[in-house]
Amino acid sequence: MTTHTIKVKVNGVEYVREVEPRRLLSDFLRHDLGLTGTHVGCEHGLCGACTILFDGEPVRSCLMFAVQANGHEVTTVEALGTPEKMHPLQEAFHEKHALQCGYCTPGFLMTLKPFLETHPNPTDEEIREAIDGNLCRCTGYEHIIEAVKLAAEKMATRS
Amino acid sequence: MQLEGEHVFKGPREEVYAMFRDPEVLATAVPGAQSLTKIDDQHFEGAMNIRIGPVSGSFSGKVEVANEVYPEKFTLIVEGRGAPGFAKGMGDVELIDQGDGTTLLKYSGDVQIGGTLASVGQRMIDSVAKSIIKTAFETLDKALEARLAAKAGSAPVEFKAPTEAEFAAAVTKDMASGLSKVAEVRMLFYVIPLIVVLVIVAYLLSH
Amino acid sequence: MAGRVFGQSIPRNEDPYLLTGQAKFIDDIELPGMLHAAFYRSDYAHARIKKIDVSEARKLPGVIAVYTAEDFGEFVRPGPLQVPPPTAIKGSIFHARPLMPIAKDKVRYSGEPLAVIIAENRYIAEDAMDYIVAELEPLPAVTDLEKALEPGAPLVHEDLESNLAALVKQERGNYEEAAAKADVVIKKKIYVDRGAGAAMENRGLVVNWDDRAREMTIWATTQAPIPLRNSIATRLGLFEEQVRVITPFIGGGFGPKIMTSQPDDVLLPIIAMWLKRPIKWIEDRRENFLATTSERDQIHYAEIALTRDGIILGVKDVFYHNTGAYDPYGMTVPLNTQTHTVSCYEVPNFYTEIRMVFTNEYVVTPVRGAGRPEGVFVMERLLDYAAQELGMDPAEIRRRNLLRKERFPYPTGIIGQDFVEGVLDSGDYPETLRRVMEVIEYEKFRKEIQPQLRAQGKHKGIGIVCFTEGTAVGPYEGARVTVGANGKVTVATGISTQGQGHFTVFAQIAAEQLGVDVKDVNVITGDTGHFHWGAGTFASRGMGVAGTAVYNAAVKVRQKALQFGARFLGVSEDEVELCDGKVCVKGDPSRSMPLGEIALKANPTRGTIEPGVEPGLEATAYFGPPYGATGAGAVAMIVDVDPETMAVNIEKFAIVHDCGTVVNPLLLEGQVMGGVHMGIGNAFYEKIKYDENGQLLTASLMDYLIPQATDMPKEMIVEHLETPSPLNPLGMKGVGEAGAIPTPACFMQALEDALYEYRLQIDETPLNPSRLWELVQQAPKK
Repeated sequence: MTTHTIKVKVNGVEYVREVEPRRLLSDFLRHDLGLTGTHVGCEHGLCGACTILFDGEPVRSCLMFAVQANGHEVTTVEALGTPEKMHPLQEAFHEKHALQCGYCTPGFLMTLKPFLETHPNPTDEEIREAIDGNLCRCTGYEHIIEAVKLAAEKMATRS
Repeated sequence: MQLEGEHVFKGPREEVYAMFRDPEVLATAVPGAQSLTKIDDQHFEGAMNIRIGPVSGSFSGKVEVANEVYPEKFTLIVEGRGAPGFAKGMGDVELIDQGDGTTLLKYSGDVQIGGTLASVGQRMIDSVAKSIIKTAFETLDKALEARLAAKAGSAPVEFKAPTEAEFAAAVTKDMASGLSKVAEVRMLFYVIPLIVVLVIVAYLLSH
Repeated sequence: MAGRVFGQSIPRNEDPYLLTGQAKFIDDIELPGMLHAAFYRSDYAHARIKKIDVSEARKLPGVIAVYTAEDFGEFVRPGPLQVPPPTAIKGSIFHARPLMPIAKDKVRYSGEPLAVIIAENRYIAEDAMDYIVAELEPLPAVTDLEKALEPGAPLVHEDLESNLAALVKQERGNYEEAAAKADVVIKKKIYVDRGAGAAMENRGLVVNWDDRAREMTIWATTQAPIPLRNSIATRLGLFEEQVRVITPFIGGGFGPKIMTSQPDDVLLPIIAMWLKRPIKWIEDRRENFLATTSERDQIHYAEIALTRDGIILGVKDVFYHNTGAYDPYGMTVPLNTQTHTVSCYEVPNFYTEIRMVFTNEYVVTPVRGAGRPEGVFVMERLLDYAAQELGMDPAEIRRRNLLRKERFPYPTGIIGQDFVEGVLDSGDYPETLRRVMEVIEYEKFRKEIQPQLRAQGKHKGIGIVCFTEGTAVGPYEGARVTVGANGKVTVATGISTQGQGHFTVFAQIAAEQLGVDVKDVNVITGDTGHFHWGAGTFASRGMGVAGTAVYNAAVKVRQKALQFGARFLGVSEDEVELCDGKVCVKGDPSRSMPLGEIALKANPTRGTIEPGVEPGLEATAYFGPPYGATGAGAVAMIVDVDPETMAVNIEKFAIVHDCGTVVNPLLLEGQVMGGVHMGIGNAFYEKIKYDENGQLLTASLMDYLIPQATDMPKEMIVEHLETPSPLNPLGMKGVGEAGAIPTPACFMQALEDALYEYRLQIDETPLNPSRLWELVQQAPKK
């Protein structure tokens, strides 16, 4: 199969790679670049686990081809924080027990990061709407909603 | 899955009947049909590409024409198989002379589907099947017009089978209009973007 | 019971890795030379295999091998049977038909593998499927549980006389006699349809056979690493020690991952040995629906006999249980149904009969709840019909029949999944009901709020139900606790973890005993290289059974630390205590020795350990209860139904739950809420649907609806009652399945109450808006 050369900036690093046109962006990130924090839960755009930021907007990386990312900027969960120095959103998830198996969590975080930037004081209803496209099988979402509110507080006091 | 419907052809019953018994015409009328070869008077073999929704691939199958009562009715027995699964169906077709030079076609049948077609595509297959039939009838309308014009010796009417992309777009439209009746309204928000994406994907893949 | 760290709401040790994308899940594993597998599956549910031609697929560039049943030769044999037959129950019939690893001669469910493709990458492996030609002769499919047992029905297993997989009858007292004396007898047919575990991470397996070391390493998303290792070793003719199963982080379990005999578990290790290259298989979502086990799917003919005052005299339940095409997991699910039908009520006469049926659908094995939600649904529905009939309040009929506190321990007379008679060990059922009524303000809603709302034409209803959850069953689990020379503690156990928080709660148990920080306890689960005795994570038994083993081992290490510490400090044992990671002389903290130093010295080569004493600051312990500890609870919910669209808004959900001693309230709340989420799915959203030809119609998350954040209760109240279990030293009971068990029954009661004018008697779950609309159309309006 023919390949295409693509140039993608991921988490601030520019990568130039040869990819088949059919290679999914999620596979490219995970298996070509080794950024395995982005998880694939359904391969058809419904669970939201593979959500990444594409030029700053949350998108599902399983519904895009790697070639479509040519010339664009991608941000994955790896850029959010480290185990030693977590993002306030990650800290809040930790403190409120907003994750159990943790598989869907990167998708939630990448959906919520831009959300909190535009909604510094979200209501419960706004949070529910914001995460409606991300499925979680473990938590029942309640602790996630609490974590988002806590994260908003943390971010407000820090900025 | 039960299929049922009707269509009015602008032409005499005998012409409509003859058209249905012409594999060349049928092969062009059914969207995605690649070929339809006559084995004998009652049996045909063919291939068809389907690229709709999340399910795509080629089918190969057999068509049998049974219970023929010229020019009133016949039964179609269709069996197709391919990577996306299988379909098996039986349909009764009835042609009614309306006395004004037009023919009313009524069909009713039962189709069984399996494999990916069923497990992933079932929510759409009903609309897709109806859309296939509708598009086929519209194409046959033109074919009929062309046949009649040729017979009358007048200027030829051009008739062209729809491309797969045109057909996919038509299905999306049909489905979107059908979906609003579904009680789980939130499906709309999933299905429509999904179909659009998949149609684009299918289009990209086919090129 | 709460201590320094035990019983405290401590956030989890494992979170920072999961939150930053650093945790390793199965598909994150990359090995040099790794190949990828894909399964070519049958489109038909029931068919005879004429010919499978894989020759063209083999020619595709990048395809390494394609195998069908004939290539596997002797390896193609059914099994193993993962759970033994119910011989402990007199007169029971059970036909063992464990899973076939690949279809041979005949296909019995749609999605059954016909060929395995091994290729350089998954894309190529899937391309190859288009080149496989399978000639199958379709057979009529068995999908209706009752018709399946009629004479002349097509047979799923042709060597059997019928599709009956098992027949088990159990009785306590004499139902027919009780019914003859009753004022009221209510009979009803009740359906509980199928739902999926639907963990967010699908299953997967990575196998690496090191041909020169003669060792196999398997990474698996399994809930049962040790049984998986054992069955793979047995099939390959290897020693158990030659096979190491490791579970990386697993994206949720919920039951189906307990299976160790699915086709991938059996075939991929064989292929890896043949090809001498690592192989990865990651299930996709469609495969997960088609060919990972699911559960529920029962039809009940249930009866309840009562006095005019609503006192239960007896219950009878004859039910059909769909086991699917095979029954590899024995009768765990329907036996759980039998033991949970009368659950928390005083029912002197109870007859229960399982008719387990083979069908051309995929196999049924436990999913969160595992037969318990079905039993509770039937019983709670019967009580609601009875309350309607007798003009009683649903809460009152329950209050009158709940087992009293003084009845414990209460032998139920019914043998359960662990093949011993169920005994309810402890609890206070009336108190859970009283408290849930209090927190949801039941009386106020009924007497003040609802009449006003109804006057305004609003459809808001309340539901209230009670339940038990049999948990923490045997046989046993073990743990090893080791203090390292760094003074930190390692806990190794044989169970695996799928998000429950074992890395933290086990650490809390060990840290409490050893006086160290919870963060300084490293918990290893699911690695047979570290601990190789145990059964697995199922039946809400991680905390109660493995947790108790951790406690027992930690107590032993604590004793050793004090004993050695005293000796090294030159004092007697009763003069020392543990203080902040050290052994200190009581009243003189200046004389102390850090645990790490004691660990370093507790080594025979240094002459400090006498012969006959096990070396190291380490101990291994096991725990096996005589029977499982039974948790219980009561739930209540208020729903608002839109009678136009039948959309249901859950305004408030309250659960008062008793799982004995609480180890970590924060994590416990998470477990309960997660269970409720699945329960709501099982009530109104999630449904696995097969058509009459055995075709699965819901194999994507587009058709199989997992509740979203907007579907969940707008207010959740979780409260705990702590009645310690006498069955283990810490008094713990399990909780993992609690929320899923009562929720569908409560949901239906609340719907009936909301749509009161239609006098619905809902006898099925799950519903959805369209189905509810249909039921309302059929209802005789008041």
